[in-house]
Amino acid sequence: MNKTSIKLPPIATLGPFIALLLACLFFATQSERFLSAQNFSLILQQVMVVGVIAIGQTLIILTAGIDLSCGMVMALGSVVMTKFAADFGLPAPAAIACGIAVTTLFGLVNGLLVTKVKLPSFIVTLGTLNIAFAITQLYSKSQTVTDIPDGMTLLGNTFRIGDTAIVYGAVLMLALYLLTWFALRETKPGRHVYAVGNNPEATRLTGIATEKVLLSVYVLAGVFYGIASLLTVARTGAGDPNAGQTENLDAITAVVLGGTSLFGGRGVVLGTLVGALIVGVFRNGLTLMGVSSVYQILVTGILVILAVATDQLSRKGAR
Amino acid sequence: MNAHSNAPIVMQAKGLVKRYGQVTALDGADFELRAGEILAVIGDNGAGKSSLIKALSGATIPDQGEIFLDGQPIHFRSPIDARRAGIETVYQDLAVAPAMTIAENLFLGRELRRPGIMGSVFQMIDKKKMLEESIARMNDLKVGIRSMNQAVETLSGGQRQCVAVARAAAFAEHVVILDEPTAALGVKEGNMVLELIRRVRDKGLSVILISHNMPHVFEIADRIHIARLGKRAAVVDPRRISMSDTVAVMTGAKSAAELPPQALAH
Repeated sequence: MNKTSIKLPPIATLGPFIALLLACLFFATQSERFLSAQNFSLILQQVMVVGVIAIGQTLIILTAGIDLSCGMVMALGSVVMTKFAADFGLPAPAAIACGIAVTTLFGLVNGLLVTKVKLPSFIVTLGTLNIAFAITQLYSKSQTVTDIPDGMTLLGNTFRIGDTAIVYGAVLMLALYLLTWFALRETKPGRHVYAVGNNPEATRLTGIATEKVLLSVYVLAGVFYGIASLLTVARTGAGDPNAGQTENLDAITAVVLGGTSLFGGRGVVLGTLVGALIVGVFRNGLTLMGVSSVYQILVTGILVILAVATDQLSRKGAR
Repeated sequence: MNAHSNAPIVMQAKGLVKRYGQVTALDGADFELRAGEILAVIGDNGAGKSSLIKALSGATIPDQGEIFLDGQPIHFRSPIDARRAGIETVYQDLAVAPAMTIAENLFLGRELRRPGIMGSVFQMIDKKKMLEESIARMNDLKVGIRSMNQAVETLSGGQRQCVAVARAAAFAEHVVILDEPTAALGVKEGNMVLELIRRVRDKGLSVILISHNMPHVFEIADRIHIARLGKRAAVVDPRRISMSDTVAVMTGAKSAAELPPQALAH
């Protein structure tokens, strides 16, 4: 009995990585363009927005919550920061700060409704999803904001390693992953996030302020969405009110594919990075194969169900 | 251990009353716990034993009555207050974070931090030191678990309960309260936990043991507090009373006055 239960966790953490390798192998056989440094750099660039959103999403899912509003809040942030710069002539750093402040405020509202009013995060964020979407459309009058200062797209610039152009935003994403991974693993607040997700009542009884932990997780997620707003502006060079619609569910998909349990308390944020890359590799590989984007959505849906099923089964094995 | 009947009183409650709407859960309950003893608290469902324990552990605030710790009146507003006063409680089914390691569970909410700026500013935890301390504390209580770095969910039910009891014992200064620690355990596992509870007492801590399991209560308790109808019906000496008489008092078939005088503990 002990043998199986001790062996399971490493398999669960390696699983996403193996899936990513298999996906890469498969697409390498299907398209000779897939296995190139340039293409991987492109995948990173395509993944960076959803990757950063998924960090915030991971934090929330680790506490056994979920955030359905992430992509829409990100879109609102990007519209706010671009419009503030375009309409009021704010310098880029100030406009960016305003955008991040708005997404953080949404995180705060989500967090307060979850901790103080004790509403399920699913319902709360379903509400804020629609609110953020409506505000985005109303404020932007459904128009893309294109007249933006250069300072806002710096993260979309590239540097070269050999022949490969790498976008700064992807480096920022990787740095944020490492930072979050370290904080979750080595610091007291980080361990408390896991404890709250594992057994909130037992955690509260040890004297940990569980509500404070939860609230800060939602606020921090808002900050990550704000950074993702900036990345999406940098990538597209515009404030797009219709951004975030695929990212919304892709972020949850990345977390789940990365092996973080929807039941909370289990998972590694670096797994989410792998999960985001799996989504990115599938999108990219299927595009290279000339498969229509509807099939990409179909494949993503199947992947999520597979990942959740694996999560369930490995939990049963560990019991 | 009759010596304990003369030991000083560590914790005392007088005339506790707790009402939930129409229901009176505690109706003037008294309570005494002596130093270094295992006091079992038994009672039928609705006798008020869990309300009594909740009042003593700070989980509920009684409507009336007084509680004393070492002779000083205390007013717990939360389990955290009780913990600060040196009273650790192991709640049934609520004890551990299953996916976290034993060492992390032992130090949950009391994490040791790295020295210097890494600990104070960056809040980094000292995993190595927590691991060493966990090993030392578990060895101290002779809990035979190989690795403190394994997740609690990889342990058997009895081992998990041992982790919860050991955590309480490691940090309690006065009193350890155990709510049904052997419920849902097999014979061997139950005995393992009972052994551990004895060692906790032998460290000098006072133990309050809530249990439905009469053989376990008789095997391990120094005195038995029988709760009935929100009051204390009697405190008996398990070495001088039969199990059936104890159950008779618990169910109201016999009153304390009908028991032989030597069966009562003081």
